[in-house]
Amino acid sequence: MSMLDVVDLEVWFDLPGGGELHAVQGVDLAVERGDRLGLVGESGCGKTTVMMAMMGLLPSNATVSGQVLLDGVDILAHGERSVRSHRWVDLAMVFQGAMNAFNPVQRIGRQIREPMELHRTASGAAARRRTNELLEMVGMPVSAADRYPHELSGGMRQRAALAMALACEPRVLFADEPTTALDVMVQAQILQQLGQLVDELGLALVLVTHDLPVVAAVCDRATVMYAGRIAEQATMDALFHDPRHPYTRLLFASTPDLYGEEPVVSIPGSPPRLDRPLTGCPFAARCPHAFDPCREQQPALATLAAGHLAACHLNTRAGVTA
Amino acid sequence: MHGSVYLARKVGLAAGTVFVAITLNFILFRAAPGDAVSNLSRVPHASPQLKEALRHEFGLDQSKWAQYLLYLKELAHGNLGISFADQQPVSHDLATALGNTVPMVLLGTVIAILFGVFTGTVAAWRRGGITDQVNTNVAIAFYSFPTQWLGLMLLILFAGVLPTSGMTDEFAIDPSWWAHLQDVLKHMILPSATMALTLYGEYTLIARSAMLETLSEDYILTARAKGLSNARIVRRHAFRNALLPTTTMVALSLGYVVGGAILIETVFSWPGIGRAVYQAVLQRDYPMLQGAFLVLTLSVVVFNLIADLLYFKLDPRVTE
Amino acid sequence: MRIVRERPAATVGAVLLALFVLMAVFAQWLMPYDPHQQVGPVFGTPSTAHPLGLDDGGYDVLSLIIQGGRISMEVGFAATVVAIVLGGGVGILSGYFGGATDTVLMRITDYFLVIPDIPLMIIIAAVWGPSLGHIVLVIGMLLWTGTARVIRSQVKSVRERVYVQRARSLGASHTRIILRHVLPQVAPLLVANTVLTIAVAIFDETALAFLGLSDPTAITWGTMIEHAFDRTAVSAGAWWAVVPPGVAVSLVIMACSLLGQAIEDATNPRLRVAHLSIRGFRIRPVRPARAEA
Repeated sequence: MSMLDVVDLEVWFDLPGGGELHAVQGVDLAVERGDRLGLVGESGCGKTTVMMAMMGLLPSNATVSGQVLLDGVDILAHGERSVRSHRWVDLAMVFQGAMNAFNPVQRIGRQIREPMELHRTASGAAARRRTNELLEMVGMPVSAADRYPHELSGGMRQRAALAMALACEPRVLFADEPTTALDVMVQAQILQQLGQLVDELGLALVLVTHDLPVVAAVCDRATVMYAGRIAEQATMDALFHDPRHPYTRLLFASTPDLYGEEPVVSIPGSPPRLDRPLTGCPFAARCPHAFDPCREQQPALATLAAGHLAACHLNTRAGVTA
Repeated sequence: MHGSVYLARKVGLAAGTVFVAITLNFILFRAAPGDAVSNLSRVPHASPQLKEALRHEFGLDQSKWAQYLLYLKELAHGNLGISFADQQPVSHDLATALGNTVPMVLLGTVIAILFGVFTGTVAAWRRGGITDQVNTNVAIAFYSFPTQWLGLMLLILFAGVLPTSGMTDEFAIDPSWWAHLQDVLKHMILPSATMALTLYGEYTLIARSAMLETLSEDYILTARAKGLSNARIVRRHAFRNALLPTTTMVALSLGYVVGGAILIETVFSWPGIGRAVYQAVLQRDYPMLQGAFLVLTLSVVVFNLIADLLYFKLDPRVTE
Repeated sequence: MRIVRERPAATVGAVLLALFVLMAVFAQWLMPYDPHQQVGPVFGTPSTAHPLGLDDGGYDVLSLIIQGGRISMEVGFAATVVAIVLGGGVGILSGYFGGATDTVLMRITDYFLVIPDIPLMIIIAAVWGPSLGHIVLVIGMLLWTGTARVIRSQVKSVRERVYVQRARSLGASHTRIILRHVLPQVAPLLVANTVLTIAVAIFDETALAFLGLSDPTAITWGTMIEHAFDRTAVSAGAWWAVVPPGVAVSLVIMACSLLGQAIEDATNPRLRVAHLSIRGFRIRPVRPARAEA
């Protein structure tokens, strides 16, 4: 049992015209203290949905099954009721950089203090002191507490969001595309800060992004998702040097590296629709190595080496390397 | 942009609007073909003396431009002309009427705003549920009722129970101030209730959609992630943000309030500015009509300015 | 048409409005009596012969409602056409060209937004004299501001979109871009606004008629309410002369509001997301197959 376990998570969304979209299909994750896990994939692959499900933040048209175990206790067992007390004290979150995560009519400091007072981790002068501490921790002047969100730059807002997420000393920090919409320099600074803080505070980080260089910079392990399922899961090192799923390889190939030495390949085709049942491997239609079993049978997520899992028929066919 | 610039701009707009209204007033009554005032034969029951006085007063023997300047000058001195109907200065009649109108309209409007914002917020919060459906549909119904008709309905329903006409009981002999106040308040119930009911529907719909838009904002999700309960999210984060568009929309609906006042005062014979308009229309008392229009526009402009100031207090971003 | 399927309120509104339009179109054949003729006693009570009773002149109220609806809706629709052409035009020009055009047009719009409509309508109608044509013009000329504002902001965002930019760089004329690219994009909003404006126009017609500014000889729902008030239907206790025209006006306004609101909601993407709702997500029990494992 890990600190945070996700067991067989499934999420469906009701569609307006009737029918369901099976957005997450049987995902298992394990997160330990000190872990830095990346959750990677194209948009629509279900990575954000997995994260939102773990915090119980799915909208009312969602149906969830499976378990989210925190120290072995299923926090989703009673929906909103059972998950609320864990929010921000155990599981906190930094939202997408492009989002307006701050209430525009309240000062930053008040919004950072709010969860402390709510969860009674600090109040009054102590909460104020803690707010200043947090701001300094993320490299912001203490005076920022008296600013309104619109008075800060995008980078500063994102730092403040980080400070807010750390307010109640959570054990797991989720970060959803924390640096998109920021310019490259600011991005690098914030990522560095994030990594450093995670180390110092000994929290587990779950970084959700489509941006592989970002994952590479911060995480030591990553889960690659495709069409609501886990395609591959391994250490960053193994994913880079020994990918065991064609999708992972193509994903890396389609990412421009900083030096632009190798030509960028884009993955042809688009992910399958998730509002109807699927036979075979969801990636088969776009996969350059697809062969008969891929169209007939869904590959199981198999352990290939310690901590290296992949869901691809190529791995089980003798004599073929992916 | 500084706060002072924002304020200066709003005051400028208000002043501009007043000026446009004043000029429209002049054009409509004097410069447009078939206008009313220059054609003295259209003044009802005018004696030759009155005609002469009017000709002099309006400077009808001079050019339009000179007339306009004269009109502005007279206006600056608070002279709105003499009523055709009772030969009294229009400004005097209007001051009395305005004094009667304001409490009645204010009472109805304030109740409508409080009630409408409350029901709209609840409806948005309970979006799609039965509370929302009932609230929204009742609001749409009240929004749809013609003001004067709703007034007549109340009048039919409550005739005999509540006073339905005028502002005081004319047969009361020398009442004490307390009895007088009670009498006026009793007379005020039906007109104010009509005002409140016609406006409440609109304000509910406005508040509901403002709240719905606010609840779709990202910071609401942040608040949920922080572990706040729904009630707390609405109170602490959504409400004030939803008030912003609501303030703007309510300010824009003030013209409608003024229109409603005219209809309601006509139905209940409330001796206010709306009834003055109605009577001026019946008697084709153009100076009165002109003056009343100016006063009504002015009051809408003033309340709009108040709404802008409120917005300035509510939203730290206006200085952007 | 997706709107109709997803929002029952829109269907109710559309059907109701269609019924009233049909009633107006076939008024000639639907009226049981001549609405200009006395057909029974003054303030005759409702009966099988006169389901809605008789008014102060002994006219059949049902026939008056049908005939009045025809005129009221004609006035409402005609005024709306004026308002939408003006407002849509100002909005598109202002949003598309921006710059000085925008500044001037929006400044004018701002003034008109603040000046109270009904008093100004009253004054213009009073100066021009009572006639239905004047009523149409007056209402139309004062109801365009809201439309202009809404359309302008939509056009501004459409203009920045890629295909409009591309069309412009390819040298398409302004007229062509507006007709081919901008107008189709703002059409749903324009339709929503048209429907909502009809409601206000009909409302305003009854208000002006109530103050005696409509054509006194024309039968409209507005003049019916006025007559009921003026000619003592209320004090005579003849509620059947007062209630029906008000109900008719309310139903048309309600139909327009429901329909217009639904179209507007459907085109507003911001209303689709709700981060807060009474009902949370649902939980489905763990699938037995995997639960055993």
